[in-house]
Amino acid sequence: MTMIIGSLLFAYAGMLGLCQGLERHFKQVWNRPGPRSLRLALRAAGWLGLAISLLLCAQAWGWAMGPVAWCGVISLAAMVLVMLLPYWPKLAVGLVAAVPVWGGLQMLI
Amino acid sequence: MKNTFTQSMSWLHTWAGLIFGWLLFAIFVTGTLAVFDKELNHWMQPEIPAAEVSQVNAAKRAIAYLQTHEPNAGNWSISLPTERAPGLRVSTGDRRHGVGVQLDPQTGEPIAVRDSVGGNFFFRFHFTLDLPRNWGIFVVGALALVMLAGLLTGIVIHKKIFKEFFTFRPDKGQRSWLDFHNASAVLLLPFHLMITYTGLVIFMLIYIPAGVDALFEGDTRAYFQAQGNARMEQPRRLAKQPGELVDVAPLLAQAEARLGPIGGLNIRNPNTAGARIEIRPVLGNRIALTKGNAMVFDGVSGKLLSDVPELRPAPLTQRVMAGLHFAQFGGYPMRWLYFICGLVSCAMIASGLVLFCVKRGRKYANANADADASARRWYRVAEVCNVGFIAGLLLACVGLLWASRLLPAELAHREAWEVRSFFGLWLLALLHAGVRPAKRAWIEQLGVSALLCAGLGVLGMLAGAADNLRIGVEVTGLVLGLGLALAAWRVAHPKPAPVRARRQVEAQA
Repeated sequence: MTMIIGSLLFAYAGMLGLCQGLERHFKQVWNRPGPRSLRLALRAAGWLGLAISLLLCAQAWGWAMGPVAWCGVISLAAMVLVMLLPYWPKLAVGLVAAVPVWGGLQMLI
Repeated sequence: MKNTFTQSMSWLHTWAGLIFGWLLFAIFVTGTLAVFDKELNHWMQPEIPAAEVSQVNAAKRAIAYLQTHEPNAGNWSISLPTERAPGLRVSTGDRRHGVGVQLDPQTGEPIAVRDSVGGNFFFRFHFTLDLPRNWGIFVVGALALVMLAGLLTGIVIHKKIFKEFFTFRPDKGQRSWLDFHNASAVLLLPFHLMITYTGLVIFMLIYIPAGVDALFEGDTRAYFQAQGNARMEQPRRLAKQPGELVDVAPLLAQAEARLGPIGGLNIRNPNTAGARIEIRPVLGNRIALTKGNAMVFDGVSGKLLSDVPELRPAPLTQRVMAGLHFAQFGGYPMRWLYFICGLVSCAMIASGLVLFCVKRGRKYANANADADASARRWYRVAEVCNVGFIAGLLLACVGLLWASRLLPAELAHREAWEVRSFFGLWLLALLHAGVRPAKRAWIEQLGVSALLCAGLGVLGMLAGAADNLRIGVEVTGLVLGLGLALAAWRVAHPKPAPVRARRQVEAQA
């Protein structure tokens, strides 16, 4: 179960990275254009997040079912992000803090 | 208007989407509910106790019951309690047509359980629309093709798939509806394509039988046998000599070790020397749909006679696709993923339907009052159908759950009455939408649906047969009810239109 939660969180973080790597959405949250290097870094981090999400899905379900679940997980994570972003942009970004919390809990357990 | 390829695709998307979208919405909603068909079955039959009993003990009690009451039946079928369906059911005769008795898994005594169509109704409606089976399968197949066409034309006409990947601009009227329709379609595109395509693959032999016709001269049984599904010959001579049934406990353990969780067993020719015990797994120990697979044991010696068949690559491909559609694998987390993805699909279709009316409505608001009267009438038909097929269908679905609890338990042909109440409510909703102004109709029907969804827990408390599965259904109902209430509230209190749009309207007035 913790793997599944982790895969959801990393999928969300990944989609958030890809989203903030786009100029219009960066501006939407921070009201200023982001530097190009930052946007590229965000995009790279985004893809990394999605990749980690796939690994966690495979951990939870195995390599046959994991990728199927991953498709659903990243789709729904992106859907949540898109619905949050226009209403509570700062919250949408702040949710990424759940990733280190989850990571910390994994270390403890 | 249809000069370019994109324009033709747009035309097809708009009109096919509108005309067939109403039924597609119904198919997607019932399909989404069918993800939890067994849980709904359990909720709709509150007499079934939720006792934690080991499958071995339940099986022994079932066999003891059958030994006393049906010692000479040709076949015993036992559905064991599982994680999703805690009931213990025994029947004699064929699995599909046999008469069944529900047993208390703790005592093995028969219990009186109300007849109910259960969540199976949603499952059956999902692929037949409650038409005669084969007709329904063809109609739903045709609708699935339209869905596929809608998805593909949607991809063609939505040119900014990646540019607007994360775009949703609320409170901007038509713009917002289009944004939501696009976002829900694009972000879940893998799911939409997968679920539609695999839906068609399930019945591929019904839709395109030419291959089997040519190779096996239309003999589907020969085709299934060629796949390795050959049914073993029943030992007719031995079945006439009496014999003593072997203890099933070790057989169940052996089957569970090989197949994973067990769903039930069949005992053919019980109490004879030719007895055969077939043990079947629950669906979903792997992605491929394993319906009909079973391990067969000799009922007297307990020897394994045949293992589950290994599927050949082509049938395995088809089974995996069917399995992807049935969503029986991966346990509850996977089931929830499918359920929520299904909900988004429903919202995607509904937003497309609403978008049609929002777009046309604005056109009429801007045009002269005496604009084409027949066009106005057709617009009104679309509006009424939108309310009746979206809000009305939701009302009918939750109404079915209420009917299962409220109709008297001893009513004759109870299942038929449940189905009647489903279609009756749906019809009422359509009529109601026809006589009320569209906005009021939306608010009223969404509001009533919200109340009924949220109120499932009240019914649960009245019946007092709470267990984890039933509470799960009720809590889910509460959450969905809150969502519907929010939708009704947003229809009732729309945010003022953005300034730019208002200025345009004023300028034209």
